[in-house]
Amino acid sequence: MLEHASYTLVLISLAMYVVLDGYDLGVGMLSLAARPERRGEYGEIVATAWDANESWIILAGVVLWAGLPGAYAVILPSVYLPLIGMLIAIILRGLGLEMQSAAGAYRRGWALLFGGASLAATVCQGLVLGAVLTGPSQRNGTFQGGAFDWLSLYSVLCSLGLVAVYLLAGAAWLQDKTEGWSRSGVRRTGRSLLVVTAAMAVVLGLLLPSADPQQSQLGQPMRAVLFWLTVVAAVVAGAVAWHGFGRRPDWRPFAAVATMTVCGLLGLAVVSVPVVVPPGLTVHQAASPHSSQLFLVLGVGLCMPFVLAYNTYAWRSFRGKYTDPVESPIPPLHARTYPLAVSPAPSGTLRTITRRSLLVVLGILATALSQDVFGGDADWIGPVGVTVLGCAALAAWIVGDRRDRRAGYFHADITDTTGIADVAGIEAEPTS
Amino acid sequence: MASSTVVELSRWQFAITAIFHMTFPALTVGLSVLLAVVYTVYVRTGNPLYLQIFRFWKKIFAVGFGLGVVAGTVMTFEFGLNWGVYAHAVGPVIGVTIAMEVITAFFLEAGFIGLMLYGDGRIRPRTMALASWMVAFGTLLSTTWILSANSWMQDPVGYQKADGQFHARDWISILLNPAFAHRFPHMLLAVLISAAWFVGGISAWYLVKNRVHAQPMARRCLSIALGVLGVLMPVQLYVGDGTAAFMGRHQLPKLEAFEGNWKSDNNGYNLLVVPDTDKGENRLHVEIPYLGSVIAQDLSGKTTTPGLLQTPPAERPNMWTTFYGFRAMYFTALLMFGTAFTGVVLRMRRRLFDSPRFLRWMVWMTPAGIIAITGGWIVAETGRQPWVVYGQLRTADAVSHLTTFEVAASLAGFVLLYVTLLAIWARYIVRTVKAGPEALPTGPASPDASEALVA
Repeated sequence: MLEHASYTLVLISLAMYVVLDGYDLGVGMLSLAARPERRGEYGEIVATAWDANESWIILAGVVLWAGLPGAYAVILPSVYLPLIGMLIAIILRGLGLEMQSAAGAYRRGWALLFGGASLAATVCQGLVLGAVLTGPSQRNGTFQGGAFDWLSLYSVLCSLGLVAVYLLAGAAWLQDKTEGWSRSGVRRTGRSLLVVTAAMAVVLGLLLPSADPQQSQLGQPMRAVLFWLTVVAAVVAGAVAWHGFGRRPDWRPFAAVATMTVCGLLGLAVVSVPVVVPPGLTVHQAASPHSSQLFLVLGVGLCMPFVLAYNTYAWRSFRGKYTDPVESPIPPLHARTYPLAVSPAPSGTLRTITRRSLLVVLGILATALSQDVFGGDADWIGPVGVTVLGCAALAAWIVGDRRDRRAGYFHADITDTTGIADVAGIEAEPTS
Repeated sequence: MASSTVVELSRWQFAITAIFHMTFPALTVGLSVLLAVVYTVYVRTGNPLYLQIFRFWKKIFAVGFGLGVVAGTVMTFEFGLNWGVYAHAVGPVIGVTIAMEVITAFFLEAGFIGLMLYGDGRIRPRTMALASWMVAFGTLLSTTWILSANSWMQDPVGYQKADGQFHARDWISILLNPAFAHRFPHMLLAVLISAAWFVGGISAWYLVKNRVHAQPMARRCLSIALGVLGVLMPVQLYVGDGTAAFMGRHQLPKLEAFEGNWKSDNNGYNLLVVPDTDKGENRLHVEIPYLGSVIAQDLSGKTTTPGLLQTPPAERPNMWTTFYGFRAMYFTALLMFGTAFTGVVLRMRRRLFDSPRFLRWMVWMTPAGIIAITGGWIVAETGRQPWVVYGQLRTADAVSHLTTFEVAASLAGFVLLYVTLLAIWARYIVRTVKAGPEALPTGPASPDASEALVA
């Protein structure tokens, strides 16, 4: 029973990922086709959320590992190359995005990297999906196939389908987030992507029985009813999206597309459950023992509402149309002058040498004390010594910090450091 | 049974991706705490200096955090990609621990990082402060979980084996395993310390270069960094010594390898060895006599350090990596200790901000913490070999059924990518530091703000 709960958690995470990172990747791919002056903005739209959205695929992966280790250990090696490709693409996407964002102004290279990596990540994900649906060859609970088993006509079609789905989600998200698109432009792009997605869904659905080695289980009435329900729901959502593109309210197409995607995933799960990895690895066989299931389902299940709550909160903080952030300039401080502390005059050579030698001995002693060298003689020496050293450093920090603050060392007005530089012989550099 | 080439390549790939990943948390955990503190101080006092500090370090934090996240994603999948047998065996234990890390820590960080980085000017300052604390809390939580998982692999407890899998018997003892009690504080201190060297080193650079408009920020940050280091370095040496002693009790071969002895008759401390693994002896070694015994808490100098010949050849870790990983960590630690000690003395002598030699040295110490952490992890991981779960599952038996081509291709891809990324990241830091912080305007403003500063 619990293993089905784990499986449900995997499906929820996967659905969240496909919906949320789906639009990120879609926006990324669309940015390739956008005019250069809009590309930077597309990146900024994604920048506030890509990290949180990407976390869902990590969650899907680790819950699969913890809850159904049998499935995890078979699936991952079987799609080694496309999954590595996806990871590398995700790294490049993050790099392009963060560097573009940090650059302040539009940088062609980073923006194109963001878009291109989004496309590559989507293609790889589609290949992985297709490979899992066609069923990796397995024996004794481990993958036993070749390096290119994942490559088939079906997996290539799957990756094209996923590109279409993500593009659709991206277009719907852009309608919600930007003002820039003309209404007719949105409608044209959204609707044509919708048509492509629907066509791909039909083709992939019809080819599935021939690609998937497991027998179709749609003969069971309960299963058939549930499956056709998800299909009907997807069709209705598709119709809503068709109607909503280019019309207010702007959030509607995205909600409809998200519903469509979730229905698609649900339909797939309904057809295959209890099999997780075709042809025959079931939830029950792949599951981890009861003690792990219990911890996993309780732990992740109890945290999930909080995660959803603060993700919603973060999302609400950036809701509405994207606007360039106005980072207010640092407010000025009331001017005030402070006397600069005068450094103590250097003392005589002999005294300096004596002082430094003593300090070196003291330092070595402190090191030995910290490393508990004297622990052989008495247990308390180490902990007490470390406490004394730590407290002494803390006291020096607090006292010194207060003194330096009073002297104005941390104050913005102290721009004239020539006095200090003269005393200490620091190389002076002209003000930039 | 996979070929030994696949095992070797997979090990290299995991090592490279892990070290690369570790570089970023080594900075961002500590930086996230610094950012949360300075932003809170800013909200409470209104002192613009702290906003300047926040905005400056935020730029370096943001890119480092992003790279850390994506590099970490690679690692969560590598467990299954390259180590399918391992993933299947430990999924019920390690899988659950990492799932908890993801749901509690990753999401907390990821949920609030957007607010923290892009919220300026869009959300209220108090919310920004909350978001900063949540990100910091998330990074600390993440450190806790991952150390728990890794420590269990170092010293597995609380499980029973069935059908080739580790089944959890007692979750409390698994999560709070004995190795965790030593290694978690050690790592927590390490990430805070390495961020402090990074902040201190860059601040010192501004003082050395006498960048006038960056001076108040540089002094403030240098003071914080050296304050933290002065307090934490003694504690870290103590905790580290305890960790090494613990490993000596629970993983003797690791200690034998990192002390660089083959025979068990040496009371000295090896500074440098050239081991000959086949013959089971050192071709060359440089030692300080008696020091090994002193470090083992015997001041009479009679205690000798156990050597690797005690361990059967099939269970010996590689002495090269283990020994030099440990030396890299330990020698850097001594330098760090000495520098922090000097910092305390200079502060007491009121010379902290105008001691050019010390400040120049601080600039060199910028990457010290990262070097020490990398060295430490090399000891922890290569010293545990040939086991992946110590004493229970051999690394060679844990690998997935893959072809050499697949692993070689991915390894080449990661090496190429990560070298490029490190170069981009280094260039980005250099440029950001050279550009300096946003200018801090002076002039008339509300007097209450400065009152809070003086108080």
